[in-house]
Amino acid sequence: MRNRNATAYRFLAPYLLIFSVFWVWPIISSFLISFQATRTVPWRFAPGFNWGRLIGDPAFFNALQNTLLILVIQVPVMIALAMVMAVLLNSPLLKAKGLYRFAFFAPVVVGEVAYSAVFRLMFSLDFGIVNKLLNSVGLPKIDWFSNVTPAMALIMIAVTWRWAGYNAIILLAGMQSIPEDVYEAATLDRVSKLKQFFYITLPLLKPVIVFCLVLSIIGTMQLFTEPFLITERGGPGGGTETLGLLLYRQGFRSLNFGYASAVAYTMAALAIVITLVQLWLTREKQ
Amino acid sequence: MATVTLSNVVKRFGAFEVVHGANIDIKDGEFVVFVGPSGCGKSTLLRMIAGLEDISGGEIAIGGKLVNDVEPADRGIAMVFQSYALYPHMSVEQNLSFGLRMTGNPKADTDRRVKRAAEILRISELMDRRPKKLSGGQRQRVAIGRAIVREPQVFLFDEPLSNLDAELRVQMRVEISRLHKELGATMIYVTHDQTEAMTLADRIVVLRAGHIEQIGRPLDLYDDPDNLFVAGFVGSPKMNFIKAQIIGHDAGGVVVELAGQEKTRITQPLAGAAPETGSKVIVGVRPEHFGSAGEGDTDLVVTIDVVEHLGGTSFLYARTAHGEDVVIQRDAAKVPTTPEVTVSIRKSYLFDEKGLRLR
Ligand SMILES: Nc1ncnc2c1ncn2[C@@H]1O[C@H](COP(=O)(O)OP(=O)(O)OP(=O)(O)O)[C@@H](O)[C@H]1O
Ligand SMILES: [Mg+2]
Repeated sequence: MRNRNATAYRFLAPYLLIFSVFWVWPIISSFLISFQATRTVPWRFAPGFNWGRLIGDPAFFNALQNTLLILVIQVPVMIALAMVMAVLLNSPLLKAKGLYRFAFFAPVVVGEVAYSAVFRLMFSLDFGIVNKLLNSVGLPKIDWFSNVTPAMALIMIAVTWRWAGYNAIILLAGMQSIPEDVYEAATLDRVSKLKQFFYITLPLLKPVIVFCLVLSIIGTMQLFTEPFLITERGGPGGGTETLGLLLYRQGFRSLNFGYASAVAYTMAALAIVITLVQLWLTREKQ
Repeated sequence: MATVTLSNVVKRFGAFEVVHGANIDIKDGEFVVFVGPSGCGKSTLLRMIAGLEDISGGEIAIGGKLVNDVEPADRGIAMVFQSYALYPHMSVEQNLSFGLRMTGNPKADTDRRVKRAAEILRISELMDRRPKKLSGGQRQRVAIGRAIVREPQVFLFDEPLSNLDAELRVQMRVEISRLHKELGATMIYVTHDQTEAMTLADRIVVLRAGHIEQIGRPLDLYDDPDNLFVAGFVGSPKMNFIKAQIIGHDAGGVVVELAGQEKTRITQPLAGAAPETGSKVIVGVRPEHFGSAGEGDTDLVVTIDVVEHLGGTSFLYARTAHGEDVVIQRDAAKVPTTPEVTVSIRKSYLFDEKGLRLR
C-alpha cells in the first residue's frame, strides 16, 4: 500500500512541483512582500510601511469605492437578467433554442481586447451606435468616456453583457434539473405559472443562484480588463479605477511590489469576507 | 363524486398515434384500473383525463360536463404521480397545503383539510419533515394526502406503488382500497401489475398498444376473457396456450385435437358460428384447471422439468409430447414423483387463429 502511494506521488510530482513554484510560492511570497518596503534597494522589512499607507491612501479608497459600487449594482442586475434569459431559454414557446444558447454564451469566448474595442466604438461620442439610437428617440447624446457616472455605467453594461449569458446557461442547467412533474402537480393545484416560478423554481434554484453570485462577486472584485481597455486605465481621472487597476498601476507601472501585494491581499480578503457573509445569509435554515 | 366518460378518445404525438379511439364509461364512485404492458398508453390516457396532455380527438366528460377545453385545475381531479412529485423544499405540511395557500383558500379550512388528510393517512407525526427525510411509503402517503386535500371528485393514480418494495406494495394496496371506501370518490388507477388490478378494481380496462382489449370486472376478465391477450395477461402464472386443430363437430359442440397428440381431444359447445373443420385454434388452460388423470374431459401426458414448491401449492413446469411448455398447479401433497405424468384438462378456452375467443 505504502509502495503504491509512493508511486502515485512520483507520478504527481511534476504537477506538484509546478503547482508549488508557480502557485503556492507566489501566494506566500507576495504575502511576505506586502510587509517590505520595495522602493528601496535592497528591499527591507517594514511591516507597517505598505499597510499603513493603504489605510490612509485616497487612491486606494477611490478604487475600493468604485469596485464595491460596481459590485453592488452590476452583480444583482446581471444575475436577474441571467435569470430572465434562462427562463426564456427554458420556455417551450421559444424556437431556435440552440441559436439563442450559442448567442448568449458567445460573449464569454470573444477575446477581451476585441470586445473592448467594439464597446469603445459603439459608445463613442459622435460615431457610436448607442448615441445615434439615443438621438433617434429624442434623447441627448451622452459622453460616455469623459464623465464619471456614464463611464461607470458603461463598465457595468460591458461586464453584464459579457457574463450574463454565462450565468444564464448555469441557471438553465439548474432549471432543467427540476423534475417536470413537480410543475404538473402545481398546475393541478391551480398554482399560476408566476407563482410556480417564485415558490418552486426560485427556492429550488437557490444553490445555483448562490453559486453564480459567488463566482460573479469574485470576478467583479478582480475587475481589470474593462476599466483598463474601455475607459482607458480607469478614466476619466480615476473615476473608474478599480482595485485590480490600482494593483496593476502600483505593481507594474511604479514597480512598487510591496504595496501592490498589500492591495492584492486586501482584494482577496474582501472577496472571501463578502462571499462568506453571503453564504451565511443564504444558508439552509434547519 | 362524478362519472368519467371517454368517447372515441384519440391521442397523437405528431403523426404517431398512441391511443386509437378509447371508449370508457366510468360510474360515479367506481374504482377503475387501467392495466396493460409498458408503453400501451395507460399514462397518456390518464394524463388526458387530468388535462396534462391535449386530446387529439374525441371527447372526455367528467360529471357529465365536457372537459376537453377545461383547465386541469378546474376538472375536479387530483393526481398521484409515480415519482410522487413532492415539492422537495417544503415540509410535509407545506406540501399538503401549498395549493390551497396559493389560491387563497381560508386558513381555517386549509388547516382542517390538511389535518384530516394527515389523519386518514396517519402522517400526522411527519408534518415538519422534508420529503428527503421520508421513506418511500411515507412519501407515497404524502403524495396521496396532497390529492385528498384538494377534495376532488376523481382521483387519478399513475402507478403509485411501483417504486415500493413488495411488502409495502401489498400494504399500500390495502390502504388505497380502504381510502376508496372511506372517501367514496371515483378513482382511476394505472398499473402494469395485473395482481394490483385484480385486487383493487371494481372494473378493469385492459389496454394493448393503444387499443382497449376488454373492460370488465376482475373475475369476469379471469373467467371469460374476450381474447388471447386478456387471457394471457390476467392471472398468474399465465394461462397455458396449446396449439390445436378442429377435427369435427358433434352434438356436444366442436371437437378439437391438440397438435401432435391424437388422443387428446376436447369437445366444446359453441354458441356462435364454429370454424370449419381443419382450422387451427388455440386451447387455453389455466394452471389450476389441470386435474389428476381421469378427472376432466381429457387426459394429457406431460414431462416435468422443474417443480416449484410454494408451500401449500406447487407449480409444475412441464412439456407436452409436442414440445409445448405448460405450467400446472398442484396441491403440494399431490406432486407426482415420476417425470412423466398424465394430467386431465378440466376447463379450457378456445381461441381462433387471430386470438379472438370462440364461445
Ligand atoms: N411526449 C411524448 N412524445 C411522443 N411519444 C410519447 C410521449 N409520451 C408518450 N409517448 C408514447 O406513447 C406511448 C404510450 O406511452 P405511455 O407513457 O402512455 O405508456 P404507459 O402505458 O404509461 O407505459 P408505462 O407502463 O411504461 O408507464 C409510448 O409508445 C410512448 O413512447
Ligand atoms: Mg406510464
